[in-house]
Amino acid sequence: MSLRHRAISTFLFLIGLSLLFVPAARAAKPIVIGCPLSMAFLYGWDAERGITLAVEEINADGGVAIGGEKRPFKIEVIDTRDLEPGVPVSEALLAMEKLILDKKADFIIGGPVRSEAALAAMPLLSKYKKVSILTTGALTPKYTDLVAEQYDKFKYCFRIHGEAKNLVGEIFANFTELKEKHGFKNLFIVAQDVSHARGAAELVKDIATKKGWNVTGLEIYPTGATDFSMGLLKAKDTKAEIINIWMDMPESAILLKQWHDMKIPALPFGSTLAAAEQPGFWKATNGKGEFTLCNVVNAGNAPSNATPWTMKFYNAYTKRWGVEPEGLGTSSSYMAVYVLKDAILRAGSLDSSKIVDALEKTDIVGVYGRVRFDPKSHQIIPSTDPKEGAVGSILQWQDGKRIVVYPKSIAMGEILLPPWMKK
Amino acid sequence: MDIIIYGTINSVALALYALGFALVYGISRLPNFAHGALYVLSGFVAWSALNILGINYLLSILLAIAVTAIVGSVIYQFFLIRIRGMEISEIIATYAIALAILEGLRWGGFKGMTYTLPPFIEGSAAIGGISVDYQRLLTVGVGAALVAFLWLFTHKTRIGLALRGMAQDERAALMLGIDSDVMAVVAMGLGSSLAALSAMLLLPLGNIVVESGYNVLILAIAVCIVGGLGSWAGAVLAAFIIGFAQILTAVYLGSHYQMVVALLAIILTLIFKPSGIFGQQKELEERV
Repeated sequence: MSLRHRAISTFLFLIGLSLLFVPAARAAKPIVIGCPLSMAFLYGWDAERGITLAVEEINADGGVAIGGEKRPFKIEVIDTRDLEPGVPVSEALLAMEKLILDKKADFIIGGPVRSEAALAAMPLLSKYKKVSILTTGALTPKYTDLVAEQYDKFKYCFRIHGEAKNLVGEIFANFTELKEKHGFKNLFIVAQDVSHARGAAELVKDIATKKGWNVTGLEIYPTGATDFSMGLLKAKDTKAEIINIWMDMPESAILLKQWHDMKIPALPFGSTLAAAEQPGFWKATNGKGEFTLCNVVNAGNAPSNATPWTMKFYNAYTKRWGVEPEGLGTSSSYMAVYVLKDAILRAGSLDSSKIVDALEKTDIVGVYGRVRFDPKSHQIIPSTDPKEGAVGSILQWQDGKRIVVYPKSIAMGEILLPPWMKK
Repeated sequence: MDIIIYGTINSVALALYALGFALVYGISRLPNFAHGALYVLSGFVAWSALNILGINYLLSILLAIAVTAIVGSVIYQFFLIRIRGMEISEIIATYAIALAILEGLRWGGFKGMTYTLPPFIEGSAAIGGISVDYQRLLTVGVGAALVAFLWLFTHKTRIGLALRGMAQDERAALMLGIDSDVMAVVAMGLGSSLAALSAMLLLPLGNIVVESGYNVLILAIAVCIVGGLGSWAGAVLAAFIIGFAQILTAVYLGSHYQMVVALLAIILTLIFKPSGIFGQQKELEERV
């Protein structure tokens, strides 16, 4: 081959090679969603899976139409480790800053997961004007209260799942039903020594007392406690009929096993009770967790027919991950991506202020009912009717299944008592 | 009655956490900060053997104990032998190994709350009107048997006597032909197998989680410091003191302060009797 031929061949080869890369070069720039999550824990990885599923679905559909082109979502997950014992809040803040500065996140969806870390991250979001939708873990009412109090500063912060005050209301609706049905009047509260759990336990105690319940004790356990026998015996001795549990530590499974082994005649009613939320709980406790109730915060985290989208999401998640939606942050994390997409479409821009305005006007029927944010506090508007607002889900373990028992509008069954409680 | 029953169970659990740590330190003066990690590792080995390999439960337990003993011995033979005698380095190295094991397990997907081992015996009995499950009663029985076995092993067998010789005076033991490195390997293996055995007894009461590795280490250290580093009898006595103190705290002050008991015990011991109840570090006492 002559030198001329070789030069022409090389030239054609290079042109061919460059053509191969044309689609990539023309591919739309992705919209980066930063996900600060505590990945070693349920409330971290369930959120990541929910977000991933939504992003995959949206990208498969072409992405988000903006500025005359369809742009895909891209996820950047960072481990905040904020649910790990002994890890300072500053770790979560560093992780969040890295997402914004290094990973160039356009929006934040997910955590930080622990309330303390989520609160500490608010000024950071404000500083960088990053719109954040909190989807998992953090339940403190203070988060959205702060938005209402200092709107101009914290207007970038939204929360798409229920908060502690709402959870408490849901719990009392059930307590009242148990009181009317079985004559229960004695309540024992067990909480983990973390901010949201302590606060919520104190709140439950106050409200219960005002509502005429006899609160027979409030036990606070340090994170990592492995023996709950004395607390359970106190509950038994004080003739408690309900044990209200606020714990997200893994050792809460020990509490429930001990409850079963000691045949404590009080119904374990978890509020945040991570161990009982997971589908694997039944096998992990050899069925000893039967009759345990827990609040998975939003519908879709346990099977129900809240909206036509609920089981569609439930089945898609199960198919994608080989496990049913696992914890309280699953359906809300999934939904947050769709809500963001909807806001971007309406805003026609990625500008933070325009997205804030659009999110405030959100009104779509999602996995757990009608999704709307309170325009002042940016808290999702709750309801017991999925046509009116976001509905929660309280489930009870019955014969190896997670049966939704509250709210009545989506309930799949009724609360049952263990045999040793039946009179 | 409930205080006696659950105080005893809690104390035996603490003794089980600590015996392996005390044994390794007692013989080879090695502060094994990987003790808690080995405890967790054994749990996951047993779980994997039972649920992934489908091996019989008893064989899974034996496999977990054997694997943990080998891992402990390997840790000494390949890492700690090089820094033997440098206590700060030993602490740093063993803690680093603990982090590597625990974070490695987490990285390998062992996270969540659904990893559990089944109890040996289901059901519960009423003692003095207090309901106690059989697994906890078994733990107390095995714990007592283990202490007896360790005493017999260290007083009646050649290896046990060699280990005691090492513990009492390493130089004299060397002069008598006892290989200190071999004995240290044996001690690490034995200490690690004790961590595994305690895990096999205690993990069926709850679940296997990486985080418990740190708690087990803290409790083991607390028991050993109060009992006197290197003293097995001291460790057992300290386990009962801390165990009952924790239960009494839970009953009269609140469960919130349970963890404080162990840490407070360390502080008080270091202030008033730095060598612990039966401590063998007389030089430390003399210095104070």
